[in-house]
Amino acid sequence: MALLEVRDLHVSYGAIQAVQGVSFEVNEGEVVALIGSNGAGKSTILRTISGLEKAKSGSIRFNDQELTKMKAHNIVKAGIAHVPEGRRIFPRLTVTENLHMGANLQTDKAKIASDMERVFELFPRLKEREKQQAGTLSGGEQQMLAFGRALMTDGKLLMMDEPSMGLAPIIVDEIFEIINRINAEGRSILLIEQNAFLALKTAKRAYVLETGKITMSGPASDLLADERVKAAYLGA
Amino acid sequence: MNYFFQYLVYGLQLGSVYALLALGYTMVYGIVGMINFAHGDFLMIGAVGTYFIAKAFEGMRIDGTYPMLIVGLIILIAMTMTGFVATGVEAIAYRPLRNKPRMIALITAVGVSMFLENFPRALPFIGPNPRSFPTLFSTNVLKIFGATVTVTQIIMIVLAVITMSILYYVVNHTKVGSQMRAVSMDKDAASLMGININRVISITFFIGGALAGISGICYASAYPQVDVYMGSWLGNMSFVSAVLGGIGDIRGAMLGGFILGIAQIFATALNSTFGYAVGFIILIIILLVRPAGLMGKLVIEKV
Ligand SMILES: Nc1ncnc2c1ncn2[C@@H]1O[C@H](COP(=O)(O)OP(=O)(O)OP(=O)(O)O)[C@@H](O)[C@H]1O
Ligand SMILES: [Mg+2]
Repeated sequence: MALLEVRDLHVSYGAIQAVQGVSFEVNEGEVVALIGSNGAGKSTILRTISGLEKAKSGSIRFNDQELTKMKAHNIVKAGIAHVPEGRRIFPRLTVTENLHMGANLQTDKAKIASDMERVFELFPRLKEREKQQAGTLSGGEQQMLAFGRALMTDGKLLMMDEPSMGLAPIIVDEIFEIINRINAEGRSILLIEQNAFLALKTAKRAYVLETGKITMSGPASDLLADERVKAAYLGA
Repeated sequence: MNYFFQYLVYGLQLGSVYALLALGYTMVYGIVGMINFAHGDFLMIGAVGTYFIAKAFEGMRIDGTYPMLIVGLIILIAMTMTGFVATGVEAIAYRPLRNKPRMIALITAVGVSMFLENFPRALPFIGPNPRSFPTLFSTNVLKIFGATVTVTQIIMIVLAVITMSILYYVVNHTKVGSQMRAVSMDKDAASLMGININRVISITFFIGGALAGISGICYASAYPQVDVYMGSWLGNMSFVSAVLGGIGDIRGAMLGGFILGIAQIFATALNSTFGYAVGFIILIIILLVRPAGLMGKLVIEKV
């Protein structure tokens, strides 16, 4: 049984059919990548899983629950953590306050404190900037904060929407190293990337999305070697 | 000197009404980005409602005055009532329009305001005629610095300050307060934290409505005549206060309310017609000089 199973998902914005019959799954413990060019519908898929957009039809099953009819805040409760496109940190809250927002659903103070320690251990830079307003952080630090904040929600599945966007290669490496680390600890990850090379190196399996439809899928290593993928996404 | 102090007391009293009402405008703007033009009418519902609630408790009067406990109860009932009216207005009229262009919600708010004024007007037991507001507080008079100050005035000002302190505490130091700040900054991100944004918005409207209710009681205790249209003018002045302070900023709303209340009283003392114009003169100056208002930020914020 897959942890997340998306079946024949359709999502529209008015007349724009952003997602047209997409099916895929994420198994427990996997890193799955969804790659595709601008406007392919990647973010829309994640936003629909999180309940921020309504599915027109299709189903999204997670841990034996149907998510398409659930409210966004209950989907978080069900165990989905989402690092949104563009980070979306709370700019006028401090770093610590942002992380506390991630723990909004937790009630165990001791657990919140230890999760916070864990995040600071993964991202020592955030610890240094504990009291700083999040809006004044650098792009890389904001990405780390968005990442840490999502970890604070303690979801079983972590969805990341283009974590490498706009960041220096060294920061990207750092972030991907942590993606690998938390995956090794057992967290399942659904990763969206335009940087297909990076995504395919990190993921176990991957799907290629083109204008709202999945056109290819398979083990990430196979896709990495595929001529069509190379030509379209790896600039080879 | 004694005149100065006398006017200052009147100014603080009117200012606390404006401040309490301005808080509702500013909180709603901060959290859903709309100007709730019906907000002034929540004050009216508080005042007119209190008239009827007090009537219901008439039998509890001792020597013609209400015991403190009963007054407290009346205020609580009135605040709860206006809180629920505000929450209901949001759920019925504004929520379905949340993702529509702002102008649509704005026009709806004007419609809601008309409804809230004219529906009670059409009810036979309320109607259009002004009523005299009951005396809830002691009418004793004190002499302070040569000025005549009623106990009612002191209670009103103190009550307003206490209410605002509680609000300030709630926004800055409670979980729901931090949820409110998160929702005001980014609704999608707040949802992704597991925050039920509809609930947070309902609570915000409830608080705004409850504050409007108590401001109605404050106003009617000072100028003891209530009718269904009293909220529109007071609403306008309080909206000006919120803009003056920097709409979206809680401290700004309080500050703006007191500045406007005091300015209006002093201006009225100089010239009675000028007093009514002063709000709009201040508004025009602010819009020209400091469009973001004195506090100049557009969100509910911790300091
Ligand atoms: N709020 C919206 N209203 C209307 N159309 C939208 C909206 N959001 C996305 N779209 C459209 O839906 C399609 C898919 O967008 P989406 O953001 O999911 O793409 P994406 O794959 O994440 O792209 P990118 O790599 O640029 O982030 C695009 O054609 C986009 O223009
Ligand atoms: Mg995207």
